[in-house]
Amino acid sequence: MICARIALNFLLWVVITMNKRLMRDSVCSDPNRINSSLLKKVLMTALSRGADFADLFFEYRTSLSILMEEDTIKETDETLAMGLGIRVIKNGRTGYAYSNDLSEEKLIKAARSAAAIADQRKTQPKGFCFRPVRVKNRVARVDKLATASPLHEKLDLVRRAYQSAMNFDRAIKKVQVAYGESTQHVWILNSEGLSIKDCRPMIKLTVHSLAEKQRRRESGYYGGGGRVGLEFFRNSMTPEAIAEESAREACLLLEAIDSPAGSWPVILSPGYSGVLVHEAVGHLLEADFIRKKTSIFWDKLGQQVASGQISIYDDPTIPGFCGSYNIDDEGTRPEKTLLVDKGIIIEFLQDRLSAKSMGKKSNGHGRREDFTHWPLPRMSNTYLAPGEYSPEEIIHGVKKGFYVGHLSGGQVEDSGKFTFSVTLGFLVENGRLTRPVKQATLIGSNLDILQQVEMVGSDLGFGLPTATCSKDGQQIPVNDGCPTMKITRMTIGGQS
Amino acid sequence: MKARNKSNKDLRLLADELVEAGLKKGADEIEVTIYDGREFEVVVRQQKIENLIEADSKYCSVQIFKDKRKACFRTSDLGWPTLYSLVEKAIIRADQTQPDELAGLPQAARYKVDELSLNLFDPSLVELKPEEKINLAKETEKIGLADRRITNSFGASFLTNKIKTILVSSNGFSGEYCQTYASLSLGLQAGRGNQLVEDYWFSSARHIKDLSSPEEIARKTVHRTVRQLNPRKIKTQTVPVIFEPMMTSWLLAFLFHCVSGQAVYQKATFLADRMGEKVGNERLRVIDDGLMPGKLGSRPFDAEGVPAQTTSVIEAGILKNFLCNTYAGRKLGLASTGNAEANGIGPNNFYIERGQTPPEEIISSTRKGLLLTRTIGHGLNPVTGDISRGAFGLWIEDGQLAFPVSEIAISGNLNEILNSVDIVGSDLDFYSQICGPTIKVAEMTVAGL
Repeated sequence: MICARIALNFLLWVVITMNKRLMRDSVCSDPNRINSSLLKKVLMTALSRGADFADLFFEYRTSLSILMEEDTIKETDETLAMGLGIRVIKNGRTGYAYSNDLSEEKLIKAARSAAAIADQRKTQPKGFCFRPVRVKNRVARVDKLATASPLHEKLDLVRRAYQSAMNFDRAIKKVQVAYGESTQHVWILNSEGLSIKDCRPMIKLTVHSLAEKQRRRESGYYGGGGRVGLEFFRNSMTPEAIAEESAREACLLLEAIDSPAGSWPVILSPGYSGVLVHEAVGHLLEADFIRKKTSIFWDKLGQQVASGQISIYDDPTIPGFCGSYNIDDEGTRPEKTLLVDKGIIIEFLQDRLSAKSMGKKSNGHGRREDFTHWPLPRMSNTYLAPGEYSPEEIIHGVKKGFYVGHLSGGQVEDSGKFTFSVTLGFLVENGRLTRPVKQATLIGSNLDILQQVEMVGSDLGFGLPTATCSKDGQQIPVNDGCPTMKITRMTIGGQS
Repeated sequence: MKARNKSNKDLRLLADELVEAGLKKGADEIEVTIYDGREFEVVVRQQKIENLIEADSKYCSVQIFKDKRKACFRTSDLGWPTLYSLVEKAIIRADQTQPDELAGLPQAARYKVDELSLNLFDPSLVELKPEEKINLAKETEKIGLADRRITNSFGASFLTNKIKTILVSSNGFSGEYCQTYASLSLGLQAGRGNQLVEDYWFSSARHIKDLSSPEEIARKTVHRTVRQLNPRKIKTQTVPVIFEPMMTSWLLAFLFHCVSGQAVYQKATFLADRMGEKVGNERLRVIDDGLMPGKLGSRPFDAEGVPAQTTSVIEAGILKNFLCNTYAGRKLGLASTGNAEANGIGPNNFYIERGQTPPEEIISSTRKGLLLTRTIGHGLNPVTGDISRGAFGLWIEDGQLAFPVSEIAISGNLNEILNSVDIVGSDLDFYSQICGPTIKVAEMTVAGL
C-alpha cells in the first residue's frame, strides 16, 4: 500500500538486464532448451481450469558487478537468473507460479498451480496460434553491448572514477565505486497468440565518497548509466564527472548547517526534484490503486487537482533512459502518456488487468522486477513539463526560503501524504542561495501541495539516472524529472 | 560426477562436487551455498481471492578465492554445465582483480550448533492445506471489514515459506538446515473523501502455533487505522517522543546498520571510532542473538558457516561489539560474530532488552509529547547518525492520548537519541528479526506548521 522511490543510498545494487548475442555465445546455460511447443503446452495447462487469460514470462538475465574500495578491486560478481513466470487471470483474480527448473514436468506442475485460481473443473481451452512479433528497438542506445566488452575496460572505468573522487579534495578519505551491468532477455507469450521477445541492456557506475574534516564526516553519492553501452562513459558522462559530483556533495555537506524546521516557502531544483512528481502524483495514478479505490485520485478523472501550470507525462520511450522499455512486461508497446493536463487528470497508468476492469486498453505500464513476480501498473520516466519562468526569476522572488538541492528518495501512501528526503539543500535569503543545509525531510499532502505550486520554471531536467522504485516488494528502474518550481509553503523537518 | 545427471535430486552432493571442481580448476578456496525454497502466498481483498502464488525455487551462490583475490557468482540455473562454466569464469575474473591479504574463508569452527535445538522447522505448517491458508486470510479481512469505521481494504495476505540451506566449503565445513516461516497480515483504510487514513498489522512466526489469531490481527489493524482519523496539525516544537515497538524496531534497524563491521571499516558510520565508549543511556542493552529457539532470526550457522552466537552490542550504554562477518572482523582485528549474509552482514535476532515499565505508564508519565506510530520516507544517514522522517502519531497531553497528528516530520541524531532514552518499556515481542519495546526519548524536534 505504500510505495517508495529509492535513489539508492545503502542499497548497493539492484541491477537489471540481457542480450541476444550473449544468449548465443554463452557456453553455460542453454535457454534454447525452452521452445515454443513446450510453452504452448504450458499455456494450455494454465488455461485448463477455465481461465479468461494466461501469459508466460520467460526471462534469461546475466549481470556483472564490480566493487572497488580501499584502493583495491575487492570483488567481481556474476549473476545468472533464468526462469518462467506463469500467470492465469479469472474474473480479475490472479494465479501465479514460477519455476527456474525448466523441465517439462516442473513447468506443467507450475502451470497447474497457477491454473487453480480458476476453479472450474477441466475445460477444453480455446485453441490459438502464436503470431511471433519482432520488437523494434527504440530505447536501447548501444553501440556495443557492455557484456561483449572485456573485463579490463570496466575495471579501468572503476579505477578512473575511484582515483578521481580520491583526488577531488584532501577531505575525501574513503571512496567506494560500483559498476553494474545486466542484459535481460524476455520472451512473453499469451493466450491471445502474442509471442514477443526483447533484449534490455543496462549499465551503471556509482560512486560513494566520504569526506572528513575536524572529526566531522559526511558522504556524497552520484551515479550514471542507463540503457546504454560503455561508450556512454566516453561520450555522455565520464567516470571522472560522476566521481567529482559525488565528492563535491560530500565536501559541501562538511560546511552544511542543520536544516530549519517548520513551514517554509520551498524552491525545488530541476532534475532531482522529479521525486515530487513521482511520489505526489505518479504512484497515485497507477491504475491498481484506482481500481481498488484506495488512491485519493480514484474518483478524480477529468477533475482539476493541481495548479493549471502543471502538466505531467510518463514516457517509456526516451532513448537510453533506465526507466525506458520497448515493450512492457506484458508485451504491450508503450506510448508517451499525458497523465495530467494543465492540472486536470486525464489518464491513469494501466496494465492489462486494471485496464480491462475499467473497459480500457493497457497503455504499456505493466512492469515486473523479474520472473518471480507478476506485472503491476508502474511508472517509467515521469516528468513535469516545463513552464514559463526562468529559474533566476523564481529564486529572486524569494526573501527567505528553502532550496531543495539533492534528494535521496521519497515515499507516498494512498491517502496522498508523501515525503521526500533532502540530502543537500540551501537556504534562500533575499533572492540568493546562501548556506548549504544537510539532511531534511519535506512532508505534505499531495492535493494541498499541488495547489500550492506557484511557479514552474522553463529548465526541465532529469534526476539521478540510477534510481529505482519499489512497490509491493518489486524494484524496478525508473527516472523522473521536473523544472525549477516554487511551492508557497511546505513543512520541513529539521533540527533548528 | 554422479550429481550431474541426477538433476537436482541431491543438492548436497552437487555442492560437494562443485567445491571439488573449483579446487581442481585452480581455486585456493571455494564456498558453495544452495537454497531450495517453496513459497505460497494468497491475497484476499473484499473477501475474494485476488492473488495466489505457488512456487519452488532454487539458486546457488558461490565464492572463490585465488591468490587472495575474490570472485563470486550466483545462478538460478543449477545445471552442471552452467555451474562448471561459471566456476571457470570466476577464476578468470579473479586473476584480473587485485589481491587483498585479508580475503578468504573463515577457519572451520570446531563445534556445531544443534539445528534441532533451535526449533526452526514446523512440519504442521508444511502440511497446511491451501484452503486453510486462504480461509485464514479471508477470516482476518472479514473481521476487519466488519468494523463500520473501515471504508476500504488493501487486502489480507497469508504467506508461507519453507527453505533448505546447504553450505559446503573447502575449509572442511559442510552443513544444512531447514526452516519454515509464515506471515498473516492485513491493511485497511478509513475515512472519506480527501481525508483518508491507512495502516496495517501482521504476525509472523516460524511455527503456526506462534502466529496471532485472525481476530487479534484484525482488531489491531482496525485500531491502528481508525485512531488516525481526523488528525490535526501542530506547531513546530521540541517534545518528548515515545516510540511504539514498531518504531523502536525501525530505529534499531538503523542502529544495526551503524554497528555493522562493514560500515565501521569503511568509516561510514558515526560509531566507527566509539568502541568501548558510552554511546547510549545506561538503561540500554542491545543484543544480537542467533541462538534463540524458534525465533525468526535464529540459525545454526551464518552464510560463511560460522556458528551462531550471542553478542552483546551495547551494555549499560557502552558500545561493546561490532557485528562482523569474517572479512570485516579481520579488517577490525575482531572475530566474526556469526553475522555473515549473502551480501555482507545481517542481523540474527537483534533487539533491545526489555525494561520494567508498561507502555501505558510511559504515556501517562508524559505531560506533553508525541506517541510516534508510523514514519514514512528515507532520511537516515549512518555517516552522521542524522535522522529526518515524515511522521504520524498521537499527541499526548497531561498523560493522555489527546488527538492524532499528521503531516509532521521528526528529526534528531541517533547518537543523541540513544543517550536520551529515558524509559525502556516492558513490552518486547519478537515479531521480527529486529525488535524492541516501547521507548521514551527525552526530546526531539517535531516539525509542523
